[in-house]
Amino acid sequence: MAIAKMKKLSVIGLSREREVLVKEFMRLGVVQISEQDARLSDEHWSRIVKQDDGETAAVKWDTELERVENALALVDRFCEIKKPLLAERKAIKKQDFEEVLASEYDIRRDVLKLTRLSRKLAHAIVAENRANVVKMSLFPWREYDIPTEHFSTRATQIWQGVIPATSDSSDFLKILAEKTQYTDAEVVYSDSEQHYISIMFLVQTLEDVQAALRDLGFNRITLPLAQGSVQEALLAAEQELTDIAAQKEEIIGKIREFKEFEPTLKLYHDELVMRRDCAAVRENFLVTDSTFYLEGWFPRIAEDKIQALLARHTCYYETADPKDDEQPPVLLLNGKLAEPFEAVTKLYSYPDYRGIDATAFFALPYALFFGMMLSDAAYGLLLMGITYFARKKYALEGMTKQLMDMFFYCGIFTLFWGVMFGSFFGDLITVVSSTFFAKTVSFPTLWFNPVEEPMTLLIFSYGLGLLHIFLAMGLSGYMSIRDGQPLEALFDVGFWYMLIIGLLLYLGAGAIPSLPPIALTLGKGLSIAGALGIICTAGRHNKGIARITGGFTSLYGITGYLSDVLSYSRLLALGLATGVISSVFNTLGSLGGPTLLGAILMVIAFSIGHPYNFAINALGSFVHSCRLQYVEFFGKFYQSGGIGFAPFCENTKYFKIIKEEQ
Amino acid sequence: MEALTMAAESLLTGNFLALLGAALAALAGIGSAIGVGIAGEAAAGVTAEDPSKFGQALLLQALPGTQGIYGLLIAFMIMNKVGVIGGDGMLELTLRQGALILTSSLPVCITGTLSAIAQGKTAAAGIMMIGKRPEEIAKGMVYAAMVETYAVLALLASFLMLNGITL
Repeated sequence: MAIAKMKKLSVIGLSREREVLVKEFMRLGVVQISEQDARLSDEHWSRIVKQDDGETAAVKWDTELERVENALALVDRFCEIKKPLLAERKAIKKQDFEEVLASEYDIRRDVLKLTRLSRKLAHAIVAENRANVVKMSLFPWREYDIPTEHFSTRATQIWQGVIPATSDSSDFLKILAEKTQYTDAEVVYSDSEQHYISIMFLVQTLEDVQAALRDLGFNRITLPLAQGSVQEALLAAEQELTDIAAQKEEIIGKIREFKEFEPTLKLYHDELVMRRDCAAVRENFLVTDSTFYLEGWFPRIAEDKIQALLARHTCYYETADPKDDEQPPVLLLNGKLAEPFEAVTKLYSYPDYRGIDATAFFALPYALFFGMMLSDAAYGLLLMGITYFARKKYALEGMTKQLMDMFFYCGIFTLFWGVMFGSFFGDLITVVSSTFFAKTVSFPTLWFNPVEEPMTLLIFSYGLGLLHIFLAMGLSGYMSIRDGQPLEALFDVGFWYMLIIGLLLYLGAGAIPSLPPIALTLGKGLSIAGALGIICTAGRHNKGIARITGGFTSLYGITGYLSDVLSYSRLLALGLATGVISSVFNTLGSLGGPTLLGAILMVIAFSIGHPYNFAINALGSFVHSCRLQYVEFFGKFYQSGGIGFAPFCENTKYFKIIKEEQ
Repeated sequence: MEALTMAAESLLTGNFLALLGAALAALAGIGSAIGVGIAGEAAAGVTAEDPSKFGQALLLQALPGTQGIYGLLIAFMIMNKVGVIGGDGMLELTLRQGALILTSSLPVCITGTLSAIAQGKTAAAGIMMIGKRPEEIAKGMVYAAMVETYAVLALLASFLMLNGITL
């Protein structure tokens, strides 16, 4: 249906034109160039050709790209450039793009400057950390006034160390004095964790002192001092920190000077991405000394453009329809209205190339169900406003654009159901008018209020669900007929239609006496015929006795249809949730009565409650509407497993280069 | 003993039972709190690895929160029905009416609480999944929505029962 027909392209060309051709393919952006692993392992081919080497060049551009990305990150960080809420690519003319690139030499020089600044900044930060560590480790010793030069003399040594705060420091001094001779120890400082102790002893008593200290749990430390006293070192560290801060400031100042350079940097980034891709795609080429060979998929609608492109070059090419054992990539093609809903299909999985793209079929049910679950006129307007604004303000592409458009359509249906059920911020208008103006004004209800008549809406939801499921079954039947198996369609879908419609008629005629008696007979006949058909045919793929039992077990599948239909009760339940929670907040707001304080309370309840209710219920509607498609709808027929079409194109991040032809 | 009987008699009124029902319905929030908590732990883990996944993880984390809302919905409807809010004071209910209202709150209370916890675990697993494959968030959401179905059915049961009780 709406899966684009693909064709396979094979090209043999001259190596000297390869580079130009690759660029032109990238510009055109409609060919997905395939890997050639199979050919390379084929003996006939591998004798003649070898894989083209694009890796060396790709790695080179990747290295440069990384440098540019780092430079960009640096500029973004210090120039306080605000990131837009939604990522967008700015449109630029090819001419302008190339004009900027003309000064590539200068750009590269600036990138190098930024790289150097980044390295300097990193060094400054390392030095800063080191100075901070010195400062912190010396801090407990700040009162210690023996200079480093005196730590070791000919006859004496001075050691510094710590014992845990749990040991008694005076005990330590006493025991040390008892066990050694001519030792002078001093507690320099104590904090909640350790005692900091300095010990002076004669070199000849070293062994005694060591033994005593070991027993006492003394932990020797080396102070991070090169020379002079602790005070001097602390001052020096302090000075160093000040210097580094100034240095950092200077570096950051220099980085800030590059603020104007940011767009150029982004443009250069995109150019590098394209160069890298042009190099990397050559991995998929097969080459001889003077020719190359490539294969790829393209949508049939683009055939003219490709032929025009290839005609300009010296090359031989062929296009062919996919063979049965080939799996072409999948490109979805839908009309303007259904296209945004492709996002839902893609979030599930691409359809098989020979399957069916259901987007056009579930677009309306999706928006309808979403609207029923959110079902508030004001929320619908809000959703439409937000998505419209996002589309106008940002040049969105791809999935984000599709989702925005989809939610816009969902907003229309939310507005529709809101009007049908008479809900505008819940019952806000009624509450406000009766609280503050002592009059009862209501938002008009076109159909009925689901809180008052939930059963009506429940039955209606089941009805919609049944139609939705019937549509899915119909698609399943369509696929069988398309594949030349109309009997399969009758057995697997037709009989079920008969059974379910028959049962509905039969039960309906029983419940509503006003229906003509023919309905009862017709219902009975249809359901029996359908059931018999299922029993006779559902086991046809089995062997032996299972051919018969298969039919009966299949009939049991009616419970599956029942639970599928019941699943649509979420349409009512989520709709009620939106409405009732809205009125909870409205009622809360009205509790203050018709006073100034009451009005303030109303505003507070409104501005907290409704955004929250909107957000949580819009999320719920999105998720549950998806679920109804994925589980109830897709479950009946959808064949997933296709791989999305990813053409070789200008896969840039910041700029979109406009085609001049248009 | 006599005092106890008297206390029981004065407490065991229709109004008491009805409010007990509202209270029980609102207790479904416990399940949501636990569920959102479980999902939040996973979300924090994934966000620690890659802060840009915050938004996606938050979407999944919010899913087990709905049971609390369903509970509040039923609680609110009960309070509205018996006139605690939005009316001219509380109605006098018979013991039978109170018991009926209490009964109607049970599905959303019990199913809501337990399903929110289960959904929290599913959402946490979904969050782990987007840690590795952020493009598959829709699948994680649908797994969580599968659990929610039963909370929706319980809400519906509670709602229809409550709606059917005439005072």
